[in-house]
Amino acid sequence: MTTNFENLSVDPKYLPGISDFEFQSIHRDHLKVSILSSILFFIVVVAAAIAIIEFSEIEDKLIGYLIGMSSIVLLFCLNFIVAVLGFKKKQYALRQRDIIYTKGLIWSVRTTVPFNRIQHAELKQGPIERIFKLNSLKIYTAGGQSSDLVIPGLPEDVALNIKDFVLKKTAEDGQPKA
Amino acid sequence: MDSQKPDFSSPQRQSSVAIGIILIKFFRMTIRAFWPILLSFFIGRRAGSTFEDVIGYVVLAFAAFNLIGSVLTYFRFYFQIENNSIVIDKGVLKRTKTNIPFERIQTINFSQNIIHQIFNVVSVEIDTAGAGKAEISIDALNKEQANALREYILAEKELLVTESSDATLTTDVEIEDPQLLLHLNPTDLFKVGISQNHLRSMGIIFAFVFTTINEITNNIADLVTEQFSQYEKYLVNNTLFAFLASAILVIIISFLFSLINTLLKYFDLKLWINKKGLKLVRGLLNREEISINSNKVQMVSWSTNPIRKIFRMYTLQIAQASSTEVNAQKSKINVPGSYKQQISKVIKMVFPNEYLGNEPKHRISPQVISRIFLFSGIIPTILGLSAWFIVDQKAFFALLFLPLSFFLAKLYYRKSSYEINEELIRRNQGIIETEHVLTQIHKVQVVKVTQSWYQRRKHLASLKLYTAAGEMSIPFISLAEALDLERFILYRIETDKREWM
Repeated sequence: MTTNFENLSVDPKYLPGISDFEFQSIHRDHLKVSILSSILFFIVVVAAAIAIIEFSEIEDKLIGYLIGMSSIVLLFCLNFIVAVLGFKKKQYALRQRDIIYTKGLIWSVRTTVPFNRIQHAELKQGPIERIFKLNSLKIYTAGGQSSDLVIPGLPEDVALNIKDFVLKKTAEDGQPKA
Repeated sequence: MDSQKPDFSSPQRQSSVAIGIILIKFFRMTIRAFWPILLSFFIGRRAGSTFEDVIGYVVLAFAAFNLIGSVLTYFRFYFQIENNSIVIDKGVLKRTKTNIPFERIQTINFSQNIIHQIFNVVSVEIDTAGAGKAEISIDALNKEQANALREYILAEKELLVTESSDATLTTDVEIEDPQLLLHLNPTDLFKVGISQNHLRSMGIIFAFVFTTINEITNNIADLVTEQFSQYEKYLVNNTLFAFLASAILVIIISFLFSLINTLLKYFDLKLWINKKGLKLVRGLLNREEISINSNKVQMVSWSTNPIRKIFRMYTLQIAQASSTEVNAQKSKINVPGSYKQQISKVIKMVFPNEYLGNEPKHRISPQVISRIFLFSGIIPTILGLSAWFIVDQKAFFALLFLPLSFFLAKLYYRKSSYEINEELIRRNQGIIETEHVLTQIHKVQVVKVTQSWYQRRKHLASLKLYTAAGEMSIPFISLAEALDLERFILYRIETDKREWM
């Protein structure tokens, strides 16, 4: 039987609203990780800018430096502000049947992956994350790269727990794989 | 080998035609990689005779290298069937042995280029599910042998699958003969050619011409001015004529280009259909055969453009789950020149019939018009107008862009809607073209709700659904609607026990 969409939001038993859920914040040290990595990135950019100005035939190098450096500093400040303010938006929630991750200060995105559609989950740790003993949980689906879910800033034990929980749930909910 | 029952249990070589086919493949690879260099050598030949000799030797060495390489590749390629899996043992310098169990094989496709056609051989491609790039291909195999191989593997696979699952699913599925659903006859093929997107052909031609020129001479601007200065006198007197003539020439060339392209690609296209899936054969010089299992189909879409609409034709696209990102394009089969009833037959076969009724269309928010107008109309116009002050008064023409972009944004809004029921979700969209995309809700893998800063202020949101064969997005709906949809779609995915593939 076909039912129109309007009739369907009535089934409250299975349809807990997202707001009923406690969203978890990621670890505070992740802010340090993202700031540190953006500092590293901007150091590379500054080096590149210096190289370009020094080796090119610009006549007035002072103006070159002035324009180049001030725009880089401006971008860095913007990046810093967005990172700090956007940090609060990075939250995740585990529900009975899916996992949710939200992010984005200007462009907010909320990604939900049902457990029975997860193909594979793994923990990743970059060099800066290693300093702060944080992990990223990466969840792969068949939906392609742009839909993969990454939850950064998880302490080792939390990350492992979530990963085990997710994989257990996937095994329970999931269909037999061909 | 040529007996009634080919035996695959011992290591087999390919058909000996494979040497030639591999050789041509190598040549094409080399030429594709080095053609600019080769071309510039030939053009710049006047440089000196000794130089010319060197080139000759280099070319000869390349040819010899390719010849030896292809012979070795041929003799170092074996395939066999062992313990319900197909084993390929190959490689001259780097030896690899690939073992693919039958149950992991998704599709076995054949294709034939012109040489394959002359010698009655096919190239076989075995595609697997799974994240890795475990895909194998056999360059040339006798047609009978290839058919026997495919039938054997598919039959064995069926057996394996039914053994492992419950017995109710066994061979009670009547294997009905595939029914020829669509055959593109010459008139239809011609109609398809006429109604191609000629602007795209124009773009391809321009891109090709410019990259070629760019490879040969490093200074396009010089070349162009040099060429044009010869005609300068003529041009001054006949600007309008020259402009019209070249415009007409470009239009004719791109028209012919898309016509020929269509002919080569879709010549004698045939689409068969039965309970289990679809089979497509097409192409003139390069004849491809693609088969798709219906349960692997993730999305069906059909689109038309104003010209094609006159012929009442659509382009049908069937997208199946693909093992790797690289294969994403290959896993979509395009059937241009399909008529409405053929499309509905395909849809009825792929998706459950009882849900295929008409559903009310839900529109998106009209605010999308002003957003598109701002980003693709007003901002570019302001940039264009600022060029007015700097360069030339002709930038005044940029103002013409405003009504055009407004009109297009309005069209986009008018064509944009979605339909949903318990089982299916359908998205209608387009600006000049019109496209309809249909998928089963339980085939969605990931749901995203996104909001831009502007959308947040207006309580709007966009919904993105990711399937194993591409994404579907519903932009600019109210936040409440997006959340309802998200909740409902998640509920449907999470309670559906059917396999999505």
